[in-house]
Amino acid sequence: MTRRLALAVALLSGASLSYEVLIVRLVAIEQFHHFAAMAISVAMLGFGVSGTALAVARPTAERSNVWLVRWAAASAPLLAVSPLLARSIPLDAARIVWDPAQWWRLAGVYLSLAAPFVAVSLAILLAIRLRATRPGAIYGASFVGAACGSGLTLVALGTLPADRAVFLPPLAAAAGALLIAHQPGTIGSAAAATLLAGAGVLGALPTVRVNPYKALPQVLALPNAERVAEEHSPLGWLLAVRAPAFRYAPGLSLGYTGAFPTQTGLFVDGEIVGALTDLRDETLDLVRWLPAALPYALAPRRVAVLGSDGGLAVQIALVHGAEAVLAVELQPAIVRLGRQLASPGSVDAFTHPRVSVAVGDGRAIMTRTTRRFDLIALGSAGRLGVSAGGLHASSEDFAHTVEAYVRYLERLAPGGTLAVSHWLSQPPRAAVRSILTVAAALRAMRPATLERGLVVAHGWATAVILARPDGFDGAGVAALQQWAAFHGLDLDWYPGVNPDSLRPAHVLGNLDLTRAAAAATGSVADVQAFTDMYPFAVEPATDARPYPHHYLPVRTIPRFLREARGSWLPFVEWGPIAAGLAVLQGAVLGGLCLLLPVAVTRGHPLPTTRWLVVVAYFGLVGLAYMAAEIAALQQLQLLLGHPVYAVAALLALLLLTSGLGAIGSDRVSEHRGASVTLVLGLALVACAVGLLPLVEAMLPASLGVRASMGLTSLAPIGFLMGMPFTLGLRRLTREDDGSVGWAWASNAFASVVAAPLAVLIAMELGSPAVFAIAGAAYVVAALVVRRARPDGR
Amino acid sequence: MVRDQIVAMGVTDTATLRAMRTVPRHEFVPADLSSRAYGDHPLPIGYGQTISQPYIVAYMTERLRPRRGMTVLEVGTGSGYQAAVLAEAGATVYTIEIVKALADQASERLKRLGYAAVNVRHADGHFGWPEAAPFDAVIVTAAAGYIPPALVEQLRPGGRMVIPVGSIYGVQNLVFVEKAPDGKIRTETLLPVRFVPLVSEVR
Repeated sequence: MTRRLALAVALLSGASLSYEVLIVRLVAIEQFHHFAAMAISVAMLGFGVSGTALAVARPTAERSNVWLVRWAAASAPLLAVSPLLARSIPLDAARIVWDPAQWWRLAGVYLSLAAPFVAVSLAILLAIRLRATRPGAIYGASFVGAACGSGLTLVALGTLPADRAVFLPPLAAAAGALLIAHQPGTIGSAAAATLLAGAGVLGALPTVRVNPYKALPQVLALPNAERVAEEHSPLGWLLAVRAPAFRYAPGLSLGYTGAFPTQTGLFVDGEIVGALTDLRDETLDLVRWLPAALPYALAPRRVAVLGSDGGLAVQIALVHGAEAVLAVELQPAIVRLGRQLASPGSVDAFTHPRVSVAVGDGRAIMTRTTRRFDLIALGSAGRLGVSAGGLHASSEDFAHTVEAYVRYLERLAPGGTLAVSHWLSQPPRAAVRSILTVAAALRAMRPATLERGLVVAHGWATAVILARPDGFDGAGVAALQQWAAFHGLDLDWYPGVNPDSLRPAHVLGNLDLTRAAAAATGSVADVQAFTDMYPFAVEPATDARPYPHHYLPVRTIPRFLREARGSWLPFVEWGPIAAGLAVLQGAVLGGLCLLLPVAVTRGHPLPTTRWLVVVAYFGLVGLAYMAAEIAALQQLQLLLGHPVYAVAALLALLLLTSGLGAIGSDRVSEHRGASVTLVLGLALVACAVGLLPLVEAMLPASLGVRASMGLTSLAPIGFLMGMPFTLGLRRLTREDDGSVGWAWASNAFASVVAAPLAVLIAMELGSPAVFAIAGAAYVVAALVVRRARPDGR
Repeated sequence: MVRDQIVAMGVTDTATLRAMRTVPRHEFVPADLSSRAYGDHPLPIGYGQTISQPYIVAYMTERLRPRRGMTVLEVGTGSGYQAAVLAEAGATVYTIEIVKALADQASERLKRLGYAAVNVRHADGHFGWPEAAPFDAVIVTAAAGYIPPALVEQLRPGGRMVIPVGSIYGVQNLVFVEKAPDGKIRTETLLPVRFVPLVSEVR
């Protein structure tokens, strides 16, 4: 019976993780990525609520058995109906700030999302309650099921759109419910879920509805707009749209008077990522007037383009006569579409004989390649306006750290140049940080030539930063000056510049780029003085704190709030705010769910000390687990060179190994719980010190070797991380006093708060600090359990 | 609205303020949102478009310094509100909207409200309005990553242009373009804008 129950739990847990992955994808497409984190955080509150419910209700074993079957049966139809409900609510995220009606709609979305998690969680918790002597087996099965559920869903997303894959979770849950069904109602419920899921497959569910303020609906609203190709993958939903009125030319010089080529817009999850450009003889001139063409004044022959902008960046190289171009593109679907839509007679980015294409992460490819380039051109990874809006502020980006720039500079041939392009904001932030980052990399690599190694230019909307480890000579500077003057670009900095003589045609205010470059090429103290004085955080990003799009750290917030009313709002970063709100909503709702029942029932069945010990221990364990997961996720991203693969690999690895750890914990004496937790805490502290240097040292290795290294270093930790919860739980299950429910609830609520909190801490202090905090939390948990009496009091 | 949201934020141009006081903003928003028309925020008008926050309309208008007898080209008619404000300030306005339904609605609305000095065309704003060029001022109300060459070309020497760069949802940097009498182009990146709900103490 335990085996059948464990399998049912695995299916239910797999269904909930599958649903979580799908919801994240759907919310990211239909709303915005940062809402996904908030929505899923609330959904996970459902796990905590189930713990509180069980702690208060304290069902008998017989009743637990009945409830288990009922909640398992309810989870299937809830999983089927939840996406229908959530997506039928007309939430307008852009109006949340001023329209209270949207708050109710948001609450409705939250409730719809949380409902199936409550049901699944209750079923799992009741199963653990029923198998009190072997909680590890059931808890472990839930981990293993979760690993399978998330893994299979990611595989399914390779062929199915997220809005069509929503039939998977209810089917898995229905199968789990049927395994333990012994009543007609259960079977009927499972059958209903299957029918609903089937209806979803047949197209009864609404198709994906993208927020109208995203770029995609705007372009689709243009006359004669047509979808020309579409691909779904775990990396995102790629859509190619052609419309006569669609044009894409970032920061095009105001001196250009020619015609525009036909372009096909490329959109990932509804946001523009570039354009396929049908470049022909009569429109070749367009790319010569883009600011990103500035480094081609130096006539590079061998070029690497990291991030192709849909191919436009590659076409710039081809039109300027580059003999060999390496086009590095993260999204394989963009390359496929580019080749598929290439037309004869055009200068095509992905089929041209002078172009070789490498699919993958630019930094990882640059780390491994033995080729050398005259020019490495790097896009900013920031889309028009989005980066300035702070949507990426909490996103890790290892392509724009000092360590990454050093790696790019090392791949340059003698006399080679690194070029970085950015959208301009006012006051400039990304461009200023890039100037300081490039200079820091030059200083680390060849300090003697730093003064001669930097050129900065800007147009009316974009900036270009050039770095050359060998230094720019007089001829190079003259060529750049001539190009800039002809194409209407201002040079802010070059070797030998006299800042007082600069008369920019494109006024940014206060000569920020010139001042940044002057400081960057000065002493380390000059750089420090400049970053201290600058109103935004512009110090270079590093691998330990890979947040190059985050400009508003906590220390600067009071300064902005003192500014004139409202004037700081354009600088608000929505990514960290979403994380902060997720912490707040988790803390408030979690706190209410923990404290309110205690207050209402007046003297809950647990003595206060025991309640505090239970909540503290399991809360710390939940917090530590999630913090360690977030820190590992960051460093794995760097190791594997891909955020989605890192998430998939980490989820699979941690859930599987933790599941095995939980199952294995049944064979460990519960009195060893404190020792296991202590060892785990110390291991995580060791990770804080040693894992990042190890990851950086492994970067030149092949993907297989890097993946093996990640696996072997994190698997033992994952195994240990599966133990503290179940070892603690076994200690509680001797008495039927509701403590299992409190343990479950506090663990879940702490996890909900810890995930966004860990992201915020990583932004301020770096991922090693998050590892250290996770380790410290486990150590404190070990001390708590060691000081508690054997019965947990 | 004008005192608390616009004057308080530093807009001082008399013609702009008079126009903002006169144009009935509630006529330019969907009926179900008319009670919110004078609020300190943008409002949706359909097709993923918005009527901008009053302050941003006033700020952009002030930068153009509209006066009687000027001809102004607007790209992105939307609801027609910005065009009405420019017309109220004395300008003859040529406004282009690419979404036909919005162009038709705005045309009918402006005619009904008596803004005869506003000419609405359903077309691709990329090509400007060559028959009515040159213009004393150009205003682009739809965010873009490039400035259409035709708009620069159709700007009279000494003319001014305001264009937002950025996404509706994120931050828009307003770029001010000036064509010198000798035809040379000078730009200035103005302060970033985003729909800015004012804090309550100024109300």
